[in-house]
Amino acid sequence: MRPHTLITSVRRNPALTTAIVVLAAMVVAVALLPLVLPSTRAIYPESRLMPPSWAHPLGTDSYGRDVLSRLVTGGRYSLGLAALITLCAGTLGLLVGMVSGFFRTADAVLMRLVDAGMAFPGIVLAMSLAVALGPSMSTELLALTIVFTPFVARVIRSRALSVSGRAYIDAARAAGVPSWKILLRHVCPNVLPLAVVQLVIVSAMSMLVDGALSFLGLGIAPPTPTWGNMISDGRDYLTVAPWLVIFPGVALLACVFFLNLLGSSLRAVVDPRTRSLNALQRLRARSPLASG
Amino acid sequence: MPQLLLRRARDLVIVLWVVGTVMFVVIRLVPGDPAVSILGDTATPEQLAVLRDSLGLSGSWYEQYAAWLGRVISGDLGTSISFSEPVLPVILGHVVPTLTLAVFSTVISFTVALMITLWGTVRPRSLAARSVTQVASLGMALPQFWVALIVILVFAMVLGWFPPSGYADLLTDPFTAVPSLVLPVVVLVVGDVAVYLIFLRESVTNEMSQLYLRTARSKGLSETRVALGHALPNALMPILTVMGGHFATLVGGVVIVETVFVIPGLGSLALQAISTRDYPLVQGVTLFVTLLFVVVNLLVDLSYALIDPKVRVS
Repeated sequence: MRPHTLITSVRRNPALTTAIVVLAAMVVAVALLPLVLPSTRAIYPESRLMPPSWAHPLGTDSYGRDVLSRLVTGGRYSLGLAALITLCAGTLGLLVGMVSGFFRTADAVLMRLVDAGMAFPGIVLAMSLAVALGPSMSTELLALTIVFTPFVARVIRSRALSVSGRAYIDAARAAGVPSWKILLRHVCPNVLPLAVVQLVIVSAMSMLVDGALSFLGLGIAPPTPTWGNMISDGRDYLTVAPWLVIFPGVALLACVFFLNLLGSSLRAVVDPRTRSLNALQRLRARSPLASG
Repeated sequence: MPQLLLRRARDLVIVLWVVGTVMFVVIRLVPGDPAVSILGDTATPEQLAVLRDSLGLSGSWYEQYAAWLGRVISGDLGTSISFSEPVLPVILGHVVPTLTLAVFSTVISFTVALMITLWGTVRPRSLAARSVTQVASLGMALPQFWVALIVILVFAMVLGWFPPSGYADLLTDPFTAVPSLVLPVVVLVVGDVAVYLIFLRESVTNEMSQLYLRTARSKGLSETRVALGHALPNALMPILTVMGGHFATLVGGVVIVETVFVIPGLGSLALQAISTRDYPLVQGVTLFVTLLFVVVNLLVDLSYALIDPKVRVS
């Protein structure tokens, strides 16, 4: 797809534009707001468990810490970790998927591994690794990379498989181009758009799993705030200070929602099959005969 | 058909072997001596040696691996440390609550999603039909642990309609069991309906553009008959796969719901096993859940062959 077609389809797609704008705003907020807000360790003992007010827009927690500061700092960890997981699982999944779709001998072995990875109860693996290696950011990164790589590899492999059967690949092979070069020059550019879509969806899933692990106390440990462990902390004050649970949850929900929206609208732009389907639907909606 | 069965049986064994081996390695990644971390520093060397033996941690790694593989193949999953009982009965004792949750939430979610999709197919211009994707996307983005806390806050704490936690057996004590099941099932249903809706919608949209529907319309059938009599039955086929896969992940994925609502199922057993470093139990639960996942998916594939003649031939 050429750059200007891409820009046009982005501009014509309000869902995609909204998702990009909101996510960009969130990234800017978690990047810049901690610089101006009070420190997450600043404690106001006189104002413990205060409801939202002008001084503390999202209230304070049981130690008297500002919830807004913790929320944006927590966002740095939650978003940052999701980005790292997406990068690792994406690179690995792209590699495994391409190799598996291109070399039939490797395929048999790699796909059995991927099957096992898909059948593995992901959260159980992440939990056992967290206990085995101690809960930390790098443990979680390792665990969730293992969990999500198969999801990427699966999708990439099926695309790479269909690309490998094309005539121009045979032509390149006949011309004596080495396999690694065919992979890099011809297969990779063809699977990349699909990989991007899948990665956006993986990043949304990893935010939810990361939240769940933090909630169970197996993610990044307090006092470092993450959205998951903030909700877990607030659990004990559910009736007296519900804002401790509500705000981090809304932040996580919004982030995952817009990532999913970004993924599904990007897919419509990138995947010609769904694009043609949408065109067809549009046609049917316009014609009074077709839609009864 | 027999070929398909054989191939799937082979895949099943491979998947279980890989998963088991990964868990074998993960447990040995634990820094220090697991026996010391279980018994504490005061244990005598003899006690440690006995425990190491029963954990299968004595000898070189390949001896350990061979011994472990041999025991698993003969169906012996070892003895749980925290329960002091063989692993398999402990697991089987925790299956019923999880299955109850999984069955109820799957049936309810699927029925609700089907109703909404039916309505949307018959009335494609209604508000419900047009907003279904957005609502479903919102449902898919909801963090389960957060929804659990919010429903506890609203329906248990503020309104007091249902107990905030607890579990009772459905057959022996239904009057306690049903109210305590409502909130956990609701939490599971909220997310699952969204998943089913997305897939059903995609499948129905796909089916509605097929040519045989044009034939049906040209015969003069009403749009409702076309949608319900022709498109929907065909659109439901792929959903079977989604349901099977989803049901199976549910069984492994109810850790959060069982923990929050204090339900003694497989999920909370897994968490307990992991946090008490009960290695044989961790390994057993993982293998059991994986086996369930693969078997359910196998059954789904086989039922495909039964329903769809095209699959049987190929």
